[in-house]
Amino acid sequence: MKLIRSIGRSILAFYTVLFFVFVYLPLFLIMVYSFNANPVNMMTWSGFTTEWYAQVLGFKTTISENALYLESTDQLLQAVRNSLLIALSTTAVATLFGTAAALAVHRFHFFGKRLYRVLLFLPMLMPDIVLGIALLIFFVSAGIHLGIGTIIIGQCTFLISYVFIVVSARLAGMDRTLEHASADLGANEWMTFRRVVMPQLMPGIIGGALLAFIISMDDLVITYFIAGVDVTTLPMFIFSMMRRGIKPEINAIAVMMLMFSVIIASLGLYFRSRQKS
Amino acid sequence: MNLQTRDRLQLGTLLGPLSLFLAIFFLGPLFIMMVTSFLAPGLYGGVEWHFYPDNFGRILGFADPAFEEYDPIYIAIFLRSIRIAALTVIVTLLVCYPAAFQISRLSERWKNISLFLITLPFFTSLIVRLFVWVLLLRQTGLINELLLKTGLINRPLEMIYTDGAIIVGMVYIFIPFMFMPVYASVEKLDWSLVRASQDLGAGPVRTFLRIILPLTLPGIVGGSIIVFIPALGNFVVPAVLGGAKVQMLGNLIEQQFLSARNWPFGSALAMLVMSVMLVLLFFYVRQESRGSQIPAPGR
Repeated sequence: MKLIRSIGRSILAFYTVLFFVFVYLPLFLIMVYSFNANPVNMMTWSGFTTEWYAQVLGFKTTISENALYLESTDQLLQAVRNSLLIALSTTAVATLFGTAAALAVHRFHFFGKRLYRVLLFLPMLMPDIVLGIALLIFFVSAGIHLGIGTIIIGQCTFLISYVFIVVSARLAGMDRTLEHASADLGANEWMTFRRVVMPQLMPGIIGGALLAFIISMDDLVITYFIAGVDVTTLPMFIFSMMRRGIKPEINAIAVMMLMFSVIIASLGLYFRSRQKS
Repeated sequence: MNLQTRDRLQLGTLLGPLSLFLAIFFLGPLFIMMVTSFLAPGLYGGVEWHFYPDNFGRILGFADPAFEEYDPIYIAIFLRSIRIAALTVIVTLLVCYPAAFQISRLSERWKNISLFLITLPFFTSLIVRLFVWVLLLRQTGLINELLLKTGLINRPLEMIYTDGAIIVGMVYIFIPFMFMPVYASVEKLDWSLVRASQDLGAGPVRTFLRIILPLTLPGIVGGSIIVFIPALGNFVVPAVLGGAKVQMLGNLIEQQFLSARNWPFGSALAMLVMSVMLVLLFFYVRQESRGSQIPAPGR
């Protein structure tokens, strides 16, 4: 019996190792092969090079033209700029709305509160494609020109949900006795809010904002439907590259994106862990 | 100003603009989509403003008899989407469930590191994570390359552009969605009940089926629903890993909007995806309100 149990434990431990291998080996491989010099068979190693990165970043390289996509670094940079502009705007709006909603739902009792909470969760749970086409029909029938503006509005609908959840979690863990103490000591409501509530709430707000930012940068489906013809974001750019055939440049872009999101995510999780203590 | 009016004023300031925003840009579009799904498609794209229930009939194969004959192709795509989404749920569960047990028994420090490593991919670009699988699975991909080199096969396997590839891709991107709810209920599992069951003479299989499984069921159900909903209407994964043919509902909807230009039919299909989601959500909320708390996945 004991033997069976220890065998069982080893199998379970081995399985868990495999689990992490499954999650991380592909990401690790793409990093390694982004330095592969082979321009045709991307997964056949033929020597180390950093030229793909140089190419993507706009430096002069010796790579022959048929191993490259036609569009230049300019279009990639334009896509990055669009993505950043959209992500910064949506983050600002979604953080404001999401935090306001969390405060309202946490502090006040009002008629239909349960239903309102459902309404705040729904945009996040709605399948991307449904929200995407609903917004497309809406904007087109309202005669609104599709572009950066419609992307910002469209993304905000579901990003508010994410901020709401993160800030609500923070509010639920907060100590209200400090507020009462502040009031007892003569601070008015605004002062209590600014000096007592806000500092405690800040990690939640920053965490929510970072989450909104990263999801906005990554959103493909909803953006794809409401971007119109002349705006491309970074995920859309890669998606269209992939649809036309795989070339090593995507590797380099992908690895840089991975690095970027790992940095932002680590920041976010750091703020979340501060939330718990 | 008395207290109540001030409270009302504060509440209005906090929720007023947001409510307006969600009413116009969230509920509004969904309502218009619903209306569109009951309108007739125009000849050159666009819609004709009269009541036309055949969009839904068409999904089931019974379309407007004036134009079309019985054609079950759409119901076939629907069933296929359900099958692929269900298989995705099962595989994701099989991948995550055992690992959740192992991780729940680690020391606090390693537990936190593991959870961080599992949530991290959720924050990395989805399209990049799918791109990696294209590199692994395609004809000249790494897996074929390795198998050819070791001599296990002498012709590359066709792995990409199959249902299997779609499922692998979806499992890969949905792992954090499944893991978190499952882990939450595994972590809460009362091991003294398991020991009691063993002391009373139940074998491992029986202990699992009668004690462990029922106690972790809320997490399993929660995770399954959270994976099934985005898997069913997914269009990126089949577009990247599923090849040229229309594979799933998501691609069919995209096609109706961007190439076929039959918006009413596309809307009807989207209504179908949305109703499946609402039904599942209803059960999820009911189960949750019965006392088992499942946190949102990895957020």
